[in-house]
Amino acid sequence: MPKRRKILFKLIIFIIFILSIAGCWNRRELDTLAIVFGVGIDKAKKPGNIEITAQVIKPGEMKSPQGGSGGGGEKPYWNLTSSGKTIFSAVREFTHKSNRKLYFPHNEIIIFSEDIAKEGIRKYMDFFIRDPEIRRLVWVLVAKGNASEVLETKAILEKVPARNIAQLIEARAATSQASAVRLQEFLTRLMSKTTAPIASVIEITREKKEKIARLIGTAVFKDDKLVGYLNKSETRGLLWVIGEVKSGIIVVKSPGGNGEVSLEIICASSKIIPEIKDNNIHIRVEITEEGNLGEQTSAEDLTSLPAWTVLERRQSEAIHNEVRRALKKAQELNTDIFAFGEAVHRKYPELWKDIENRWDEYFPNIEVTINVNAKLRRSGMTTKPPKPE
Amino acid sequence: MLRFLAKKLHFLQLLSQNSEDKQESKSRESSQTSLSRDITQNLKVLKDILGPSNDINIREFSFGYEEKVDAAIIFVDGMVEKTTINESIIKPLMYDSHLFTPKESQTITTSIDLIQRSMISVGDVKKVDSFDELVDDCLYGDTVLLIDGSHEALVISTKGWESRGVQEPKTEAVVRGPREGFTETLRTNTTLLRRKIRDPNFIFESMQLGQRTKTSVCLAYIKGIVNPKLVEEVRRRLKRIKTDAILESGYIEEFIEDAPFSPFATVANSEKPDVIAAKLLEGRVAILVDGTPMVLTVPMLFIESFQSAEDYYSRPYYASLIRTLRFIAYTITILAPAVYVALTTYHQESIPTPLLITMAAAREGTPFPAIVEALMMGTIYEILWEAGIRLPRPVGSAISIVGALVIGESAVSAGLIGAPMVIVVALTAITSFVVPAQSDTATMLRFVLTVFASVLGAFGIMIVLLGVLIHLSALRSFGTPYFSPLAPLSPRDLKDVFARVPLWAMFTRPRTIGWHDPQRQEFRLDPHPPPEESEK
Amino acid sequence: MKLEGGKISSSHLTFLMIGFMIGSSLIFIPGQTAGHDAWLAILAGLAEGLVFAVIYTTLAMRFAGKTLVQFNDIVYGPYLGKAISIAYLWYFFHLASLVLRSFGDFFTAIIFPETPMIVFIVLTALICATAVRNGLEVITRCGLILVVTMSLAVLTTTILLFKDMKLTNFLPVFDIPLKDFIKASHSAATFPFGETVAFLMVICFLENVKFAKSSAIKALIITGLLLVMASVRSIGVLGVTAPIHTYPSFQAVRLINIGNILTRLEIIVVGNLLAMGFLKISVLYYGTVLGTAQLLKLRSYLPLVLPIGAMLVSFSILQFDSVIENIFFTFEIYPYYVIPFQIGLPLLSLIIAIVRGLPKD
Repeated sequence: MPKRRKILFKLIIFIIFILSIAGCWNRRELDTLAIVFGVGIDKAKKPGNIEITAQVIKPGEMKSPQGGSGGGGEKPYWNLTSSGKTIFSAVREFTHKSNRKLYFPHNEIIIFSEDIAKEGIRKYMDFFIRDPEIRRLVWVLVAKGNASEVLETKAILEKVPARNIAQLIEARAATSQASAVRLQEFLTRLMSKTTAPIASVIEITREKKEKIARLIGTAVFKDDKLVGYLNKSETRGLLWVIGEVKSGIIVVKSPGGNGEVSLEIICASSKIIPEIKDNNIHIRVEITEEGNLGEQTSAEDLTSLPAWTVLERRQSEAIHNEVRRALKKAQELNTDIFAFGEAVHRKYPELWKDIENRWDEYFPNIEVTINVNAKLRRSGMTTKPPKPE
Repeated sequence: MLRFLAKKLHFLQLLSQNSEDKQESKSRESSQTSLSRDITQNLKVLKDILGPSNDINIREFSFGYEEKVDAAIIFVDGMVEKTTINESIIKPLMYDSHLFTPKESQTITTSIDLIQRSMISVGDVKKVDSFDELVDDCLYGDTVLLIDGSHEALVISTKGWESRGVQEPKTEAVVRGPREGFTETLRTNTTLLRRKIRDPNFIFESMQLGQRTKTSVCLAYIKGIVNPKLVEEVRRRLKRIKTDAILESGYIEEFIEDAPFSPFATVANSEKPDVIAAKLLEGRVAILVDGTPMVLTVPMLFIESFQSAEDYYSRPYYASLIRTLRFIAYTITILAPAVYVALTTYHQESIPTPLLITMAAAREGTPFPAIVEALMMGTIYEILWEAGIRLPRPVGSAISIVGALVIGESAVSAGLIGAPMVIVVALTAITSFVVPAQSDTATMLRFVLTVFASVLGAFGIMIVLLGVLIHLSALRSFGTPYFSPLAPLSPRDLKDVFARVPLWAMFTRPRTIGWHDPQRQEFRLDPHPPPEESEK
Repeated sequence: MKLEGGKISSSHLTFLMIGFMIGSSLIFIPGQTAGHDAWLAILAGLAEGLVFAVIYTTLAMRFAGKTLVQFNDIVYGPYLGKAISIAYLWYFFHLASLVLRSFGDFFTAIIFPETPMIVFIVLTALICATAVRNGLEVITRCGLILVVTMSLAVLTTTILLFKDMKLTNFLPVFDIPLKDFIKASHSAATFPFGETVAFLMVICFLENVKFAKSSAIKALIITGLLLVMASVRSIGVLGVTAPIHTYPSFQAVRLINIGNILTRLEIIVVGNLLAMGFLKISVLYYGTVLGTAQLLKLRSYLPLVLPIGAMLVSFSILQFDSVIENIFFTFEIYPYYVIPFQIGLPLLSLIIAIVRGLPKD
């Protein structure tokens, strides 16, 4: 028994020792952290270097509800910049300017400037996936212009521009005219042999002398280099194919001829089916969509069955056209943003081995059939437009 | 050095044995073991033993019709019912002895039997011939009648002292269910139990513990349900106790525990007769101690702390819901400050962003690290709690004002402590009352967990929890694994763990406790509507 | 005096085996080298593992009430038997230290980058030592509770990740050369299924040895399903990026995001890992300590617990310089290193026992 007690005693001493030496390593109080909400990456003036802008929030300013409308109060965020040869070294440079350690897990966006993106971003991506502090749910964007300027834009309803941009991305589902790409998705595309990465595009517009960030379209990468942009409708064309359309408005001509009709997209799904016809790869895209009648500027009664059928057909055509346009753009740029290559791989694994490395030769000339099955379901609170019978 | 300690311990043991022997011999010397026939001699010895205490009354008198006989009654003032002494002992002896004609061969002096049988009109009378027994009974409220010429004395039961009546227990209030609680009087307590279980197999075994206090301790169990080995074990552990005082059942608890160094209690207590009755009916053994309303039951399971009497009186869905709530509350009460400390100092990543902003804003400018805040507020809360219990009632409101306003509100607005910490401590305070039986362990666990969380974050918390799990799995209470029926798993007993199944579905008694007479009731007792009557 | 007084029931054995096998395999996906066919590799590995399990349990039932160390003496004679027992004890010891090391690597890589690894290794080893000191019964009881909680956690995280899974990530099925597939599935069989050879030190304490086979097979199948679930979760979510991650499961759970509220749940994985790893180390540690005590004919194994624990800690720290060495060893060397322990010797013992009609009563 006493021997056991002796061992116990030693154990306790040991635990106390361990606890006391362990105490100082990883502890960080909340008020020693500079919480980063957004990161922008630009080219530095010195060639070969990059400049990082980190948007850090000031929690004290974030909280005060009374100071919000004062206007004269300080900004609740602070944009720090530093430059270096690699991202990590630039990030560590921040410690010379900020007394608190930069803390990335709550970062919501990574913005690459156009120049950087054109040169290729694989070399900058590694830090963001290797460092345990960075989460894969971060949004990846390309800024037309400087990334640091985007982080300076005015956010009216939010307090921090980065948060504003993140919310813009989440809200873009209302139109489905801008892509939303999380780091994980970007990485998956980057690692694929054939599929081209895409990213959201953010630009700065001036309204009443205020700089406002605007999210629009899609940035298309070839391998890891930015090669072009898709505009609004091309973007939706892309999203139709990859099944990412959540909602949006399709405007079509009224069946009678005068006026327009807005159709609201309720849900959509898609299927990519590769086929081999006459020794040629052929892709069939099947899109199913359901919409509601949302608005009409014409005076005719659209709820009659013939008009309704015409509307459904026009809706299909509109979708068809959007996809066509996206496809044309993608084939021009020779970027497989639709992941057709992966689809072929899944269906014809044996054949794929031959064409895997020559996919760039196939893709621009690949034949694509688009089948759209668009339905109109409901007409809202009214049937006929408000006009005297 | 250890050897030295061991020697010393051995020496101490010997010493205590010696002194025990001495004490015994001393008491034997000072008193004759048995009474003599001479009353004056007897009284002298008695006065010697009882000493000069002024609460001991010795009333000498004589009685008899043809010849006067000397007699004396001895009783402890305040512990006896005077009317019984006056009306049923002295009065019949003095006034009615002339009505009593002894048979020719006998005289009153020799016929103590006759007095016992036909003159004393009290229910419980016994003959005693040793001083030890006589003194014991006398000090427990009985009246001793000495008669000249007899070497025996009569001990007449006249127990009757001031005591608290049966009241609603303060510690275990219920909304539905009986309101009565145990009192400080052992006899009342056994009555309360006997009234609930009118089974001849329901047995009270009594014994006296404590060499000076001579406290009556009563072992209660239901023969046929209880495992005889368990009773034997309890008896053995109780008999082992050789101490001078048992003032409360807590004394006994510490002497019979399985794991004296464990923070977890392995003996349960309650002051509600219905709770104890239910536990007896599950095959447990109860230990009643004179002088305290707290009755002990063994074996105790961890899960017992989460079961409340009311669970069985209210309907099963609600009971199960409340049971789940208790588990959640217990988790919160032990983990909340630790998790808060771990999250804010190590795993800020795991806090949702909006919450992080709020918490970070609250922490701006507070001077102490989170762990210091946590320990400080935790300690202050425990102090408030302790002060609140001991406080005279009228001052009570002062404490709550000081606690709530000064420490809670002002500390935050003065920027000494972050508001989230106050919320966390308040939350632990409230939740700790949900499982009162474990609140003492929860407090200790909470502090340990908080310290470990501040040093190693989530890893520290998990290590401590694993340690607690190992300890709970290793712990036993009178042979029953403490953490059963969860580990070791006994699936049939899960009917009363996370959910409480309807009473008619509880066919069997808990398997892990005794399992001597498994079946509690008949099968298929679930209520059915009567078969439809065809109306004509 | 018996070394171990406790008895365990067959259902407890099942739970303990599940916990043991899940052990550290929740963070490394077994058969990871098979890419998106890892789940198939696990299933194939399970089939191979079931063969192992049948061999082990047949041995255990043949020599009922005897541990591996004890029946080695009967099968191979006192000298060769002892040598083989020592080899096995080394294997258990080495395996325990490997798991301990994976622990240290995981915690320092992901949560506490600035804290020295020794802190985690020592504390984990201490907690395991406590469990071992308390005996087999306590380990199994802990196992029950931990395994149930862990299964619920794996299930919850899988359900929460349902919407992020792309079933197309699994197509085309069987997209790797057969040779690589066999290598991956064998790797899955040896880690974790074949490691149940350590249970030859434990099965003999079963209340009713008749149920050994059925409970072992049950445990293997449940583990197989849980691992398939975990790998499907990781591959379905991570897709082509799965192979570049050091800890795919952790990364997958990090992607949980339900309406910005149910998110940042990765601490669950950490908890699971610690709980299961604790079981695995405890069983191996227990096997080593008990076997050593039997080998040395001691009356109690308690004095061995702390010295062996200290060796375990120092060995696990010293054996690798970096996480890369650990991963290389786990995936490249380990599958071959264990062949004699997991299949060679048990099969040989069984054949010898059958041919010579052992044990002779």
